[in-house]
Amino acid sequence: MEDFNDVESDNEFNPAPAEDSGDEKQTQSRARQSSSRARSRDVDVDADDDDGEDDAKVALSPGKVSGAGGDAEGDDDVNGEADDDANGEVEGENGEDDEGEGEDLGAGDDDDEDDEDEDEEEDEADAVGRPRKRQKRGRRNQFLDVEAEVDDEEDEEEEDEDIPDEVHPDDLLDRHAANEHDDRAHRELDRDRELVSQVEVEKLAAAMKEKYGRNRAAQSDAAVIPQRLLLPTVEDPTIWAVHCKPGKEKEVVMSIMKRIMDRGKTREPLQITTCFERGEATGFFYVEARRQADVMEAVDGIQNAWPRKAGGEVGTMLISISEMPDLLKTRKTKILEVGTYVRIRKPQLYHMDLGQVDYVESNGVDITVKVVPRLDYGANEDLNAALDANGKRKRGFAAQNKGPRPPPKLFNSDEAKKRDPRNLNQVRMVDKKHWTYKGKDYINGFLYMDMKVNQVYTDSVEPRLEEVTMFAAGQEDGTENLDLHALSQSLKASTSSSDYLPGDRVEIYQGEQSGLAGRAVKVHGDIVTIKVSSEGPLKGKEVEAPKKGLRKAFNEGDHVKVIGGKYMDEVGMVTRVKDDRITLVTDANTESITVFSKDLREAADSGGTTGTMKWDLYDLIMLDAATAAIITQLDRESCRILDQNGNSRTILNSHISGRIDPRHGAIAQDANGNEMRTGDLVNESGGEGRTGKLLHIHRQTLFILDRGQTANGGIWVTRTQNVMSVAAKGASAINTGRDLSKMNPAMQINGGAPQPMMPPPRIFGRDKMIGKTVSVRKGVYKGLLGIVKDTTETEARVELHTKNKLITVNRDLLIVKDPATGATLDINGRFGGGRGRGSTPSGGQTRYGGATPGARVPDWGGARTPMGASGSRTPAWGMSGSRTPAAAAGGRTPAPAWGRSGGDGGKTPAWGQGDGSRTVNPYTDGSRTSYGGSGGAANVSVPLFFSAESLYLTTPPRTKAWGSSSRTPFHPSAGVGSRTPAYQPNQSAYNAPTPGAGPYSAPTPGGAPTPAGAHTPGAHGAYSAPTPYDAPTPGYGGAPTPAAGGMGMDQPTPGARYGGAYGTPAAAPTPGAYPETPGGFADDDGPRWE
Amino acid sequence: MSTRSLRACLLCSVVQAESVFKQQGCPNCESILSLQGNIENIRDCTSTVFEGLIALNDPNGSWVAKWQRLDSYSPGMYAMKVVGVLPDEILKTVEEEGITYVPRDGTGGEEVA
Repeated sequence: MEDFNDVESDNEFNPAPAEDSGDEKQTQSRARQSSSRARSRDVDVDADDDDGEDDAKVALSPGKVSGAGGDAEGDDDVNGEADDDANGEVEGENGEDDEGEGEDLGAGDDDDEDDEDEDEEEDEADAVGRPRKRQKRGRRNQFLDVEAEVDDEEDEEEEDEDIPDEVHPDDLLDRHAANEHDDRAHRELDRDRELVSQVEVEKLAAAMKEKYGRNRAAQSDAAVIPQRLLLPTVEDPTIWAVHCKPGKEKEVVMSIMKRIMDRGKTREPLQITTCFERGEATGFFYVEARRQADVMEAVDGIQNAWPRKAGGEVGTMLISISEMPDLLKTRKTKILEVGTYVRIRKPQLYHMDLGQVDYVESNGVDITVKVVPRLDYGANEDLNAALDANGKRKRGFAAQNKGPRPPPKLFNSDEAKKRDPRNLNQVRMVDKKHWTYKGKDYINGFLYMDMKVNQVYTDSVEPRLEEVTMFAAGQEDGTENLDLHALSQSLKASTSSSDYLPGDRVEIYQGEQSGLAGRAVKVHGDIVTIKVSSEGPLKGKEVEAPKKGLRKAFNEGDHVKVIGGKYMDEVGMVTRVKDDRITLVTDANTESITVFSKDLREAADSGGTTGTMKWDLYDLIMLDAATAAIITQLDRESCRILDQNGNSRTILNSHISGRIDPRHGAIAQDANGNEMRTGDLVNESGGEGRTGKLLHIHRQTLFILDRGQTANGGIWVTRTQNVMSVAAKGASAINTGRDLSKMNPAMQINGGAPQPMMPPPRIFGRDKMIGKTVSVRKGVYKGLLGIVKDTTETEARVELHTKNKLITVNRDLLIVKDPATGATLDINGRFGGGRGRGSTPSGGQTRYGGATPGARVPDWGGARTPMGASGSRTPAWGMSGSRTPAAAAGGRTPAPAWGRSGGDGGKTPAWGQGDGSRTVNPYTDGSRTSYGGSGGAANVSVPLFFSAESLYLTTPPRTKAWGSSSRTPFHPSAGVGSRTPAYQPNQSAYNAPTPGAGPYSAPTPGGAPTPAGAHTPGAHGAYSAPTPYDAPTPGYGGAPTPAAGGMGMDQPTPGARYGGAYGTPAAAPTPGAYPETPGGFADDDGPRWE
Repeated sequence: MSTRSLRACLLCSVVQAESVFKQQGCPNCESILSLQGNIENIRDCTSTVFEGLIALNDPNGSWVAKWQRLDSYSPGMYAMKVVGVLPDEILKTVEEEGITYVPRDGTGGEEVA
């Protein structure tokens, strides 16, 4: 009883509530208790009162008889009092009086005790967990509290004292002495008994709980169990995911709820336990049930639920036990704080606009958000719009079509007054400009909207500086006041949890381990293992903690480095630590900065690093797609820029979206139509007449640096039309190049308009260069070996052996090499041939013939250019030269050729001479010989010589071939007379053809014949015509030509040449035996040309 | 049931139309919150911002109910997460009743993580 004294205080004297007293068991137990008590009192009475023993007994009996329940005891007391009266009961008169009182008394006492008993029982139940009732009853009985609070025993004493006072002063003493003592003993005994009966009471309590349990609010015992102990087991029902129409999850769940309700009353209630959705439009909802059939039953026929998808695809999936908790995982809604930046979701007008939380209602749901209004003050309002009966819908609809939304701008009351005064009202406020416009509040230019938290986005707000400054600029005194605290509030969420490295000193600041500090030992995912160093039972032990509740710990004096945020890379010493905000003095400039501890790391290195800036001063940068700006001042975390509109402002480095690389050779037109380019000096044509150096040209905008100025770092911005170029330095030379072709006399020779160059001959099919091993002749890659991977007309992609790199090289710069021996090959033969098939040679030759009359030798020897210019056959040449590597080699590989020619060449002339007719030589040896012949033009000859030679002698074997070829002619010349052309000046015409064939082996162009022909210019011209005719011959294939053609006599020569050209040493012998040559030639040729 | 007027009880997360709260009160916490007929209390103790709907059919046999601590409640519609906080007075009452108040705003889920 004492145990419950304080608890039950208010319950005493509670007239037993119906619910409790009505309980059968209770009544029984009470009855039993009281009877037992009565009995014990009997004994007492017997012992104490010797006199009245009998009477007492007599008196007792009716009590016992009538004493259903509590009366028995009352009688007991009465008994005690009645002792004095002796026989009072029988007599009636006195006794009645006394008894009556006594009974009253007894009833009071009795009630008291009875109540206590009841209370005990109730309290038993209450203590187990029925707090609500107590509360309720407490309320009801509040006026009785005072008395109820009195302690039992004292109470009784008092009562005993009081009541007799009222009754009979005489009675008091005796009764008092007798009773007081006895009662104690009795009660003690009673208590013992009650203890025994408590078990029963507990049962009772359980029953009560069973009966009323559902009405409990949050079950305290359930709430105490941590959720991790509630993880699902195999005994739990399973969860199925069911397809539904995305976005209709809620409706589906509601329909199923309805079905549950409907079927609940029928004989076949739904067997599923729950059905839920996660509040996301994932196209799934979930049903928890024991059997899948139950799921189907619950889900079947529900609109938008697709338990079976079309085509027999299963729309129901079992969720594994391990995934079940994840299904129900919810993320805590960020608690909004005043000052936090958010993005507006609704209304549509402000969608994605930045807002600042101005006020948060205590329920955490209703907030007031401050935004920069987007108002057009009725500019776009359709006055003619028909007003609907309810007005709303229509307006909403109209609003959607209302054109572009106005730009965000602070509320301007003047404008509103001017344009739309009807909707404007001023709210008188002492210190604020407060207006209502169209029912919305505008304070200090900002719009204040009352919203719900779900109307804003709180995640990844990432306020941009422009937006933030809008809010900052709202200060009345005009000072920009960036609320960095608010900014950090918003940014905190966006920055991911920091990284911890083993060795970092950390402390736990959240959760039950809060306060532990130590060093990180291991980091695994989100769990950091910490070796505890702080005092306590855990000291020295390793504890695992989630990153969430961790922060890095630093002490004052620590040398730290900033590893994140805007002060990144700053190094300094910690001077103050407050929670996770740490103030440090930087080493670099002893500036005091405050950063979050997560952005810090203990610094191993000392000394501030300046940090590498991505941008340089005067860099042209891009702010957004349309805005360019130039950096006029650079700071650590911000820079001052001057944009193309001439606005200067400070932005964070992170807001620079990129650098605009200066376009090389960008040109702009100045006011006079003259061009200017970067680096030019310009003068402003009007205005202040500023001057400066043109730094950047960006579209029509010029960024000009005038070092004499101080504003904006000397930079000024203007449009191209506003300046005049002072000195067009280096402008004309490059681009205003005169048309050289017009000034070229050689081109004029041909009279009038220079004919357009022949289109480059097309080579069809696969370029023969592809796959060849080549070496680069010039440039960065000079001397490197590679394989041609791809070609265009002018360039080749070469894969270098050395670097595994593909380079693009002009074809002219390549020498074909033998992959095995490394010897230089004359691929030209093939190319030349290929080209020879084309019309070029013929055309070229014709022209050549034409040109020859002029100044043949000089023209010819006058190097390539004129020839190219004249478009004569040289082009055939030149072109082949430019295009065919072989030819190019011919044209430009003097070195190797030379070297060889040194030997061979030296020989050749000797040879030619030795062999008599020099005429032959020219023919055979191509140009070279001719030079030898024409001798006089030694200087001129050199290039030609090269070309000829190179053509012939690109490869060492060729030298032999050459020799052979040179020899070959001899034979024929002697015997067959195929050489004849060479011999006979007349036939020099035929020589021409030979070259025709030649071009295809390149030597032809050697033009050697031509010089030979030089002697007979006239004839030459005439005969040159056939040459083209000849050109095709090779096209047929080498074999037929020699056979058929009268010119066949040439063939051997080329044959030999081919042999040489291909570097077939086999061919070398050929010369020895003439007959073989053709054979070899034929052999060689066949495959080659096919 | 239109979604608009639905409110979720901040204490037990039951989801009902506002009118139902007014007529019948909260099926689970009526004794504490006494929402019946008391618009003000309804506004204070229920929230229109909630996520995830759970149709509870068998509170005792369901793991979901156990996990969401709904197992002692009556069948009906519940929210997975309710945004908002109970007013302090109510919280005090709840605590006096000896009930551990578990906010329904998703924090419970984080304890596990």
